[in-house]
Parts: sequence; C-alpha cells; structure tokens
Amino acid sequence: MRRLLALIVALVLVPAAPLLRAASKTDTLTVSATVAARAKLTLSSASMTFADADPDTVPSMPANIGALTITAGARTTLGSTVSLVVLASSDLQSGLDTIAVSNMAWTATGAGFVAGTMNKTTAQAVGSWASSGLWSGTQSYAVANSWNYSTGTYTTTLTYTLTAP
Amino acid sequence: MHRFMSIRFIVAWVVAGMALLIAPVANAQSITFSVSPSSISFADADPDTTPSITAANLTVSYLLTKSGGANWRITVISGTNLTSGAASIPISNVTWTATPVPPFQAGTMSTTVGQTVASGVGDVKSTLTGTVVFHLANSWSYNVGTYSATFTFTMSCP
Repeated sequence: MRRLLALIVALVLVPAAPLLRAASKTDTLTVSATVAARAKLTLSSASMTFADADPDTVPSMPANIGALTITAGARTTLGSTVSLVVLASSDLQSGLDTIAVSNMAWTATGAGFVAGTMNKTTAQAVGSWASSGLWSGTQSYAVANSWNYSTGTYTTTLTYTLTAP
Repeated sequence: MHRFMSIRFIVAWVVAGMALLIAPVANAQSITFSVSPSSISFADADPDTTPSITAANLTVSYLLTKSGGANWRITVISGTNLTSGAASIPISNVTWTATPVPPFQAGTMSTTVGQTVASGVGDVKSTLTGTVVFHLANSWSYNVGTYSATFTFTMSCP
C-alpha cells in the first residue's frame, strides 16, 4: 500500500513541478552588417633627403628621416592577397646628371614588410598580407655612395600603391 | 476499517496533488513581449572615422501579470557569430546600450549564454517599453561581405 501511495504521489507531483510559475515568451531580431572594400595608406613623411658624405667613410648614405613608417589598411574578401609596392618615377636626376635609382635600397621591419631595391620600371614589393587588416611597418632607405657621382642635388619621386582585390 | 482509511488517505493525496497540478496553471503568468523592428543593420563605415557603428533603435515592449511577485528577466542570445559565407565577425564585437536604467542594462552579445537586457520583480501591469541600441565595434580586419545573425530575445518569469 505504501508503494502504491508513493507512486501516486510521484505521478501527481512530478508533472506538477515544472508548471510552477514558469512562463516565457520570445521574439527574434535579424541583424545584418555590410562591410565594403576600402583601403588606406599613410607614410610618416612625404620627403626624405640623403646628405652628402665621403664615400670612403660613408659607403651607404642613410635617409635623413631615419625610418619611414608605413601604415596600410585594407578590407578585401577572405583569403585575397593585399599588396603594397613602390615605384620610382626615374633615376635620381640633377639636370643631365643621374644616379641609377637601383643604388637606393631599403631594409624593413614589421609583419609582412620586406626589404628591397628601388626600380623605375617595375614596382617593387614593400609588403603583402592575406585578407583584411591594418598593418604598420618601417622602411629604412639608403643610397650606395660612390666617387663617381657628379655634384648636384638629385631628385626622384617614389609612388606607393596599395592593392586589395 | 483499516482498508477504508487507506483509500481515504490515497484519495486525499491525489486530490492534493491534482490541486498542485492545476493551481499553477490557473495562476500562470501572462507575458506579452515583442521587439520592434524585426531587423536592424550596421552600415559600412571607415574604421578610422567610425570606430563604432550604431544600428537603429530597437523598442522592447513588455507586459507581465500574475507574476506573484516573482523575478522576471529579458535576455538576448545570438544563434551564431555574424557570418558571410566562410567569413565571420565575432558576435562579442556587438554590444548594446539600453534605457531606461533600470530595469534595462547594457551588455555584450554572446552565442552561448543569454545576456540580461532587463530584469525586475513583480507585475508590469501596463505595457512598458525600453530602447535598446546595438553597436558594432568597427575594424580593418573585417573581410568584405554582407554578414547576418539572428538574435533571440526572451522574457521569462521567474
């Protein structure tokens, strides 16, 4: 009899328990976000100078600005390659005198940034990355010194291009 | 006599049990709850100039009766991260602010645990509303795409 009583009590109370003061109601919200392609590129300096020096004591003339800080940001599709290149408009020129721009080279710091040698016909890689992101690094330029250079003030223009397909 | 007493005892227990079973149903809370609009969007923006993207205001309407003085809570959970094909944006980058405070409170979205949007005690005898504003932390690291997720709001008592 006690077993029967226990069973009945269990059958009655157990189903009742979950119903004690429990209520809820839900509603849903659809959320969307649009991310469009965009890119940005900033250089810490718009110009740099290589000061005159004795080729014997200074075989490589560093840029007066020290390191050039580059910040590149790009939004692209997942897995795409973002690339940053630099191209010289010409050799270093002073009137009719020139210094081959291939005498200009750089070292680099920062993830994805690479060292290289300047070129006036083919853009040279400065850095590359996979997918979207924001990257910062430095380039330290130097020009190989030589007794062969004629006196003058030489100039060229470097163009940086950031590509995010 | 003993058998008769036992039957009466059993009947008493059954009646008491049925009362427990029926009573809560008769006194069950009544909840009216909705969020509006049913969709919101975060527009594309430059991470440098817009570090946080704000969506349109969301109105949360709620009414609770027969609570018996119990605690109530409104929670929100996301089914997934914001996804666009294989690309995703962690849902933890979505936060919200809400008014009035209290009963509403600010928070950060989760895909695993319902986060409290508002809470209180006892009946809400006339429909009240709160405003929830979602924000998406902007980043250059987001890949191009149209992302989506579904948020589920739940009002529960207790």
